[in-house]
Formats: sequence, C-alpha cells, structure tokens
Amino acid sequence: MTKYFSFNLKALLTNPYLIFWAIIFVEYWVLMWAYVFGANVPPYEEAISDYVSMAYGSLTIISLSAVATGIAETLIHSSKSIKFVTKYTKLSPARFLAENAASSLMVLLIVSAVMFSSMIGVFWHKFGMLVLPKSPLGLAATTLLSAIFLYAFSAFLSLLIVVLKAPKSASFVTFIPLMLSFLSYSSLWIDFKIFAYISPFNCISALFYHCYSGKRPITGGFFMSNGKELMDTALTTVSLTAWIITMLALVIILLRKMRGVSIEEIRLV
Amino acid sequence: MINVEGLEVSYGRFKEPVLRNVNAVFDDKSLVLGPNGSGKTTLFRALCGLTKIRKGRILVDGVNVEEIYAKTGVIMANFPEVLSLLSIKVSDLLRLYADLTGGDQAFAHQILVGLGISETPLKSKKLHELSAGQIKAVCTAIALSTHAKHVLLDEPFEQLDPARKNRLIEHLIGYDGIIILNTHETWLIRNLADWKAFFMFEGALYGPVLVEELLKAKFSLREEAKAIMKLMVSGKTVSLVKGGRGKPVLSLESLDKIYELALEAEKD
Repeated sequence: MTKYFSFNLKALLTNPYLIFWAIIFVEYWVLMWAYVFGANVPPYEEAISDYVSMAYGSLTIISLSAVATGIAETLIHSSKSIKFVTKYTKLSPARFLAENAASSLMVLLIVSAVMFSSMIGVFWHKFGMLVLPKSPLGLAATTLLSAIFLYAFSAFLSLLIVVLKAPKSASFVTFIPLMLSFLSYSSLWIDFKIFAYISPFNCISALFYHCYSGKRPITGGFFMSNGKELMDTALTTVSLTAWIITMLALVIILLRKMRGVSIEEIRLV
Repeated sequence: MINVEGLEVSYGRFKEPVLRNVNAVFDDKSLVLGPNGSGKTTLFRALCGLTKIRKGRILVDGVNVEEIYAKTGVIMANFPEVLSLLSIKVSDLLRLYADLTGGDQAFAHQILVGLGISETPLKSKKLHELSAGQIKAVCTAIALSTHAKHVLLDEPFEQLDPARKNRLIEHLIGYDGIIILNTHETWLIRNLADWKAFFMFEGALYGPVLVEELLKAKFSLREEAKAIMKLMVSGKTVSLVKGGRGKPVLSLESLDKIYELALEAEKD
C-alpha cells in the first residue's frame, strides 16, 4: 500500500459534506423513525423487530448512497490527477483502483457501523428492547456486498463523466446514487414487483431487511395493506452480484480510457 | 528525450486546432517562450499524455506517451490540476507525492522555504486554499523534488517577486535532468544562456535556438533574408535577427507585447 490509501481514507472521513449527508442527515431520519413514525408501533416484540428491520434497510441504503455520492465527487475532482499519477508514479491504474477501492470500502463500512450502532441505541431507547439482527453474518455479508456495489457504481458514474467530457453534468450525476436510494425508499409505499429485483438499491434494502428480521422481504408497499409479493432472497443476491461484476468491469474499461477533466472546467460549470 | 512529431491538438473534433503541426526534440534544458494563449500549456498537457492527440505522436524515451503507465520518474509537471489528487493539507500532499514518486520531501520543503513559504500554511491549508503564487510555488517544488528525468514547468515564475524568482532559477540551473519550462516573460533568459529556446505563437512551435544567441537577437517586423528564425504572428512574418534593426528580445519583457509591435508596424 502507498500513502494514497491512508490519505484517501482520511480525506473521505473528514469530508464535511460526506459527514453531513451520510451521517447527520440520516441520523435525523433515524430519530424521526424512532420517535415520530414509531409512535404507533404495537408494543410486542415481532412488530418492533419488523419495524426496526424496515428502518435499518431503508435508512442504511440512503446513508451508504450519500457516501457513494461523496466518493464520486472526489473522483471527478481529481480525474486529471488520477490520469497523471497512474502514468508517472507507482500507482498503476490497477493499483490505484485497488487502493481507492480499499479506502472507500473502509469508509462505507465505517459509516455502516455508525448507522448500525446508532440505530440499535436509538431504538433501544425508544422501545426499551435491544433489537439485534437475526443473521449477523448475513448482515455483515450484505453490508460488504452493498459497499462494493456502491463503490463500483460511484466510480463508474464519475469515470463516465470524465470519459464523456461532460463536467456540466457532474453535480447531477454524482447525486444519482442518493436519488436512486430515495427511489428504493419509496418501496415502503410502492410495490415495485419485478423491478425490485432489477434495481440494486431495492435489492440491498431488501437483503438488509431480510438479514435483520429473518423474514423474506416483499417487493414493495410495506406500509400498504393490499396483497404483498414475497421476494426470492437468492435471486436478489444474484441480481446484486451481477450488478457488482458489471460495474467493476465498466470501471476498469473507463479508467484506461479517461483523460481527466480539469478542476477549472468543473469550477467554471 | 521527448520527440514531438507532427502534433495536432484540438479541443473538440470540429474545433480549430490549438496546436498545429508541432515538431520538436526536447533533449536538454529548454524554454518554450510565447505570449499568453499561444498554446504552451496545451503543448505541456499533450507532452504528459493528458490531451487527446488529433494527429502526430509524442515519444518519451522512444515510448508513445499514450502507452506509458506506472513509469515512475519519467515525467513530472507543476500543473495544480495533476497534483490535486486528494483534498488534503499541503504538507500531507508533499508526503504523498514523495511516496508515490520516490521523491525527496525535504528538498521540496527547502525549495519552498527559499520561495518564502513557511511551514505554517503548509500544515494548516489545503492546496486550493493557498494564494495563486503559493500554489504555483508548491507545485513547482513538488515537481522538482521528484527528481524526474523530464520536468515540465508551466509558468513557474508567475506571481513571484524578483528575489524569489532568482532563487528558483538557481534550483533550475542545478537540476540534474531535462527541464522544459514555458513562460511569456523574456527577462529570465539572461540567466539561462546555455539552454535551448523555442517560440510558440498561435499554436505553432519554432526553434530551437540557443538562448545565448537570443540574448543578442532582435525582433524585426519585416521578412529578413538573414533571419535566425521566422515567426508568423497575426498573419505577419516576424523575423528574429542578430543585430541590425528591430526590437531586442530582452527589451520586450513579456512576449504579449509582440502583438503591440505588430499593430504599430501596421500603422507605420
């Protein structure tokens, strides 16, 4: 590992925008879920566990997507520099990708841990019971898969902007992960049916719910009373894995093609 | 050694080329002199492989620049955009680049102290939080401290006072490698008599000529038969002549003034 790994880790963890959107903003919604929306949750264990699992699945994906937005923004701003360092320093494109991925994944996992512990604490305070995941290993594996997907997705988006030379779209495109996570959040009211398998954000949210509650997730409309379709968790995992492989392949191709967008171009926009 | 062969660069497929049929061999310390907007920075970006080449090719030690990956110590440049890999404190940035290039962090600090930049802003500020002059100084110090074989310096004297310019010149003279430096200021050629000089006007590169010849040369706004070099400026031929009539190169201070000369000649 070069010093790039530790400095990127430090830069991401001290990025004020990332801290605000990934932690402070989502913590606000954790409090809302606990003390405002949670007021009518029936006071028995299964209902509380189901509610906390739903909150965990819906809010953690938003938090991780906010980190992905921060990663994408950082990559776009340093695109010209990435091109240069991968040509004239120890950081070959493969090594850069490995170190950038490792440090970004670590940030995603740290933020996941923050969300996990804060939700356990807040919901324990609200309901007076400790709601722990039914499958801690499954939750850890899902967290890792989600982190890999979100990293690959943010890297793909930022490299696409650079390769297509479209810095004007940078601020919009970097927010795509966050926007898609809110779309998946709407599955609380909307039944996405087959599209729940196609959207990786819905897959992540569903897998989080599944590992936390031990129950099969539904394709959407958690808060709606009409007929609910159960999801196949194996198929959901396959869909997420396929997205990860596709994104990583595209990232490798784009990394070799990119020439960078200068900071001035982005600032001018 | 960097060989540039028939280079043409444009920003966008249907746009006018910024560099036109540029041919050059950079095998020694060289200056690229030209007014602002003449294409010097674009040429340097192309030499690093950061700009798409429309025609021609660039060979760095015989290898096509487009095919170079992870070759530590081949090229380093002082562009802030290529040295902004992370948004971190400047002192950390110096450590990062020393680590990535096998460079000498202490030497970078030594250069910066000479250029009047103390430790305090380096430890407390990020690169973009420094003044324009400080950013240029930090980037130049990083570039020189890597001890790369080819160092490309884009306007390194910008916003430096004369005393600091002289200190930087000492580092350039003492550098063990090929420096290619671009500037629009002509005053500094006095100190670099054994360097080669190229001129760049409107995307075309002319030269080289030895700087010691330039010291005695003049710009004549006529087509002279015995010219050392003939340049095209705003559609007019400007001859670089030894002695005779004309404006001494050194008296121009900035090559931007060559356009004023061209206008005056038109009025006459």
